[in-house]
Amino acid sequence: MDNKQIQDRVKKVIANVLKTDVSTISDDANFIFDLGADSMQSMELIAAFEEEFDIEMDEDKALEVQTVSDAVTFISGYFNK
Amino acid sequence: MNYRALSKTEIGQLEQNGCHAQSWDKVNVKEGFDPSRVKNVDFAGTVKIGDFKKAVTVYDGITKPAGLYKCHIQDCIIHDDAYISDVKYLVNYEIQTDAIINSVFALTVSGESSFGNGTEIEIFNEGGGRALPIFDKLSAQVAYLMVTYRHDGEFIKKLTAVIRKYTDSRKSTTGMIGQNARVLNCGTLRNVWIGEAAVINGAIRLEEGTIASTTHDPTYVGSGVIGKKFIILSGSKVDSSALLAKCFIGQGVQMGKQFSAENSAFFANCEGFHGESCSVFAGPYSVTHHKSTLLIAGMFSFYNAGSGTNQSNHMYKLGPVHQGILERGAKTGSFSYLLWPVRVGAFSAIVGKHYANFDTSDFPFSYITELDGKSTLTPAMNLFTVGTRRDSIKWPNRDRRNDPIKYDLINFDLFSPYIVGKVLRAIQTLHDLYEKASRDREYIIHHGIHIKRLLLKSTGKYYEIVIDIFIGDEVLKCIKELPDDPSIDDIKKRLSPEVGLVDTDWVDAAGLLAPRKVISDFMAEVRDNKLGTVEQLNAALNEIYTSYDLHAWAWCADLIEKRLGKRPNELTAEQLRGIITDWQTSSLKLNNMIIKDAEKEFSMKSRIGFGLDGDDEVAEQDFTAVRGSFDNNKFVRETLADSERIKQIAEHWLNILK
Repeated sequence: MDNKQIQDRVKKVIANVLKTDVSTISDDANFIFDLGADSMQSMELIAAFEEEFDIEMDEDKALEVQTVSDAVTFISGYFNK
Repeated sequence: MNYRALSKTEIGQLEQNGCHAQSWDKVNVKEGFDPSRVKNVDFAGTVKIGDFKKAVTVYDGITKPAGLYKCHIQDCIIHDDAYISDVKYLVNYEIQTDAIINSVFALTVSGESSFGNGTEIEIFNEGGGRALPIFDKLSAQVAYLMVTYRHDGEFIKKLTAVIRKYTDSRKSTTGMIGQNARVLNCGTLRNVWIGEAAVINGAIRLEEGTIASTTHDPTYVGSGVIGKKFIILSGSKVDSSALLAKCFIGQGVQMGKQFSAENSAFFANCEGFHGESCSVFAGPYSVTHHKSTLLIAGMFSFYNAGSGTNQSNHMYKLGPVHQGILERGAKTGSFSYLLWPVRVGAFSAIVGKHYANFDTSDFPFSYITELDGKSTLTPAMNLFTVGTRRDSIKWPNRDRRNDPIKYDLINFDLFSPYIVGKVLRAIQTLHDLYEKASRDREYIIHHGIHIKRLLLKSTGKYYEIVIDIFIGDEVLKCIKELPDDPSIDDIKKRLSPEVGLVDTDWVDAAGLLAPRKVISDFMAEVRDNKLGTVEQLNAALNEIYTSYDLHAWAWCADLIEKRLGKRPNELTAEQLRGIITDWQTSSLKLNNMIIKDAEKEFSMKSRIGFGLDGDDEVAEQDFTAVRGSFDNNKFVRETLADSERIKQIAEHWLNILK
């Protein structure tokens, strides 16, 4: 899976969890500051990424993921091992 | 104590000093009595007076000779060097040595009184059925069992009889003002027992109560306080217009700023200011500080009530019959509301208004929030918030009790068999719910609360961290005292539990953590009349408390066997390495997550409102000046140091187990 495909799916997940339009999510949007996610939604995003990509994200490392681009980089690491 | 009749000369001197007596024959004095120390006193009934030699400090450096001045004294015994002045009525009291009573309207005992002991309070359920007789040796644990085990009629009957025997023994027609106690500037005190070194200063009206102070840990009752039918134990401070009606105030409690409490018990180190409580069982470390906060018909411990916290126990049907439980460490956010009945799991945070009745007791460390009007559970979320860690550190450091006798038995462990048992159930439940839930569902409902389906799988992982840390902590506790470079056999020997597993289920009896079976055995002893006094009850509970470590390790050994298939003393070096490695990984992971949470407190969001009239640079400077920096934050530095300690301990044992 290339990064563009990952990015599209990441944005789709974010739009679904944060109940927002996928077109409003920029490539480097911050979950909290730009998209208004709270702590619980951040947890939900991690769970949603795990389900979407069928991966298990390390708990404390996953909390460092704060932006769309962070998520793409982090998730692509699972596919480029 | 030998007293003698007054001589004619002494009577003459007393009369010259403005004193009168119904009968001078009934006024007896100790040898060495000095009539010049008694002025303007009306004596009535039988009065015995000690020897006055000392000078006493009555106010801020002002000293006066001990003695009796300007008061009416009736049927009292006054011991040496007491100072009693400006007391309109002092009736039926024994005043111990060095006590000071100054400027009091009335201090009287009328008829027989048990001084609040034995008063039954309608606690936890305002509608009744859980009446708790309060007394001046009541522990949180005895209260917990009395209040929550009403289904065991025989136990309740026997426990009530033991308590009744004690409270009957407290009945007297004479009250006590203890040695070195000070009663100053008060209104009416009727049927109040005042222990040694207590200070009662400015109370308006106290009736039917005991203020059980000790020299080690004096009790203070201050200005504007009104109390009726109450017990206040050592080291507590009730001040600034607090209102108490049928209340028990345990050791080291602070209450004031117009706090109003009725039919409530507050155990060790509770704090109540500004707000109101009704039929509340406030276990140790329950704290409410704010106005508009009503705690009603609830059981709490290690609890922090946000401003405007409120509950309802009344659905306008059969009366105020509902009750709620917030297990240890729970907290409610500002203006949170709960409609009882509700049971909230330990160390959980509640935000928003909740009209659903739910039970989250098997999901400790959770967030309970209101989402589109739905009560929603985020399991394990509160595990890695900085607040939970800070709370668990602060509680043991904030034990105000200085009395050598501590009635409430309190286990502080964050991860105990009680909590880990719940964590194990949570993992299983989350797994089962996930397996059953269809992927197109956003929520599932469990025990009355909504859980996002997505979280069912991921949050189980967070709970696993707790298990790794608990097992590692327990193993390390067993082997930490071993001499340097022990052999694997030395280690295994230490890992053999001294007691067998008593019960897989544990209870939290208002601060005391114990296997359910141990509590059942205690109750059987009460039923079998083997514990016949209050002192025996407290001693038996103390024995349970001191055996916590043994039982916790036995429970952990059983858990290890279930997970690894072997008893701890049969584990291979490799398996032990696995336990230490998992402990290290999970402990560091948790610390990292907590630090990440703490970091949010220094984020751009947290800087809103700083540097009001300047630009971003000024905001940054203002924030740093007021809040400091993330890197220099005390909590962050301590957590990082803890991580280093964890690494060192792990490295040490992993080397030994090579």
